[in-house]
Amino acid sequence: MHIMEGFLPFQHALGWTAASAPVLVWGIVKLKRRLAEQPEQRMLLGVATAFAFVLSALKLPSLTGSSSHPTGVGLGALLFGPLTMVPVAFVVLLFQALLLAHGGLTTLGANLFSMGVVGPCVAYGVFRLTRGLGLSTAVFCGASLGNLATYGMTSLQLALAFPDPAGGVGAALAKFAGIFALTQIPLAIVEGLLTVMIVNALRRFNADELRRLPLLHTPEAKA
Amino acid sequence: MLIDTAAYGNRWRWIAPEAKAGFTLAGLLAAFLAGSPVIALMLALLFALLAVLGAGVPGRLWLRVALLPLGFLALSSLSLLFSVTPEAGWHWAPDAGARISELAGRSLAALSALLFLVLSTPLPDLVGLLRRLRCPDALLDLMVVAYRMLFVLTAAVRATCKAQEARLGHASRRQSLKSLGLLAANLLVQVWHQALGLHLAAAARNGEGGLRFLSAGFVHARRDCWLALLAGICLLAAVAGESV
Repeated sequence: MHIMEGFLPFQHALGWTAASAPVLVWGIVKLKRRLAEQPEQRMLLGVATAFAFVLSALKLPSLTGSSSHPTGVGLGALLFGPLTMVPVAFVVLLFQALLLAHGGLTTLGANLFSMGVVGPCVAYGVFRLTRGLGLSTAVFCGASLGNLATYGMTSLQLALAFPDPAGGVGAALAKFAGIFALTQIPLAIVEGLLTVMIVNALRRFNADELRRLPLLHTPEAKA
Repeated sequence: MLIDTAAYGNRWRWIAPEAKAGFTLAGLLAAFLAGSPVIALMLALLFALLAVLGAGVPGRLWLRVALLPLGFLALSSLSLLFSVTPEAGWHWAPDAGARISELAGRSLAALSALLFLVLSTPLPDLVGLLRRLRCPDALLDLMVVAYRMLFVLTAAVRATCKAQEARLGHASRRQSLKSLGLLAANLLVQVWHQALGLHLAAAARNGEGGLRFLSAGFVHARRDCWLALLAGICLLAAVAGESV
């Protein structure tokens, strides 16, 4: 769920941009170091960015009937690590704003914070924590909770910008979260299932390629 | 992609991207400065007219592109319409009208300014502009590769979807989820091979990173920039003057 262009008040747009900028810089520094060590990843990450963009344009069969889109954030974080995902997510969000009018330039900072920082970190953290329960369970939990965290963060951003006149930020959060929950909770489950299917299909047909990615430093993959 | 098509085929394609981006920036600032929804709506109209009458983008295409963000605006405005408290429960928010019209005006003006830029300027021109603004190389390389691969991957997605449909891959919800999973997994593998191929091709030509392309030449860049600067200052002054 992208916050549209001009939706956030000036101070909020500026504040979220200031919050995301250091993480983005850190991500770029990390990316540069990674590219210096493994130059073959330059093209891989570029193509993966295009992949994330194309994936986010796919329509998911959503339970409420509305068309929804996967964020792909969970998958990316599991494959490349959360910090490398920050510059990738930045480029994907910029492209979505410039090629699809999805999101915007003034809200780029806020969107990057929810989709490029919070989502991947939660997805990666949950994946690591639940790793002992089996690969499929961990991938499902990571991807779906990463998606939910993204949506919760966006609701919080909207609530902070537009607090309820009577109930304050808390009531506004309940309103925004409630309205978007209709599409977002089924979407989180579907995204989790989809990510499990992608990982399973990769393991079945392309074990070779997977072995080179961090996700595959797992007992199953080595066996 | 609708926006990409319009960006290459409009009348203002050869105006310097600096000029268009600068004027858009003035528009975005003006959207925040606008004191009343009426001024914001006039701003939105101005940028929409610039795109449709000036750059010659078909009006119908403009509307189709704007539809998705407008849906988001409608849904979010809905939540501002109500107020909720633990004691009183749900009720109409007291100042909902004023808040929503201010929000809608600002969002529409900013959206219209963004659409003016993206519908008249192809993405590679904007990437070239970012390069001149000293954006880090690592980010620019991501953008260059991603933009070029976008269309390759989109073609692959279309072909795979068609093949899956022909084999009843989307016959049921369960089946279509499975098909999507297979599609994404297959695409990821193609991504891997494409990237390896690109890396080998670049390495064979002594590529050590930094993908540079000749940027398009803009004959009247200097004139365009001065005009845009003047127009931007006038716009900001007019909006600030009206809003005081």
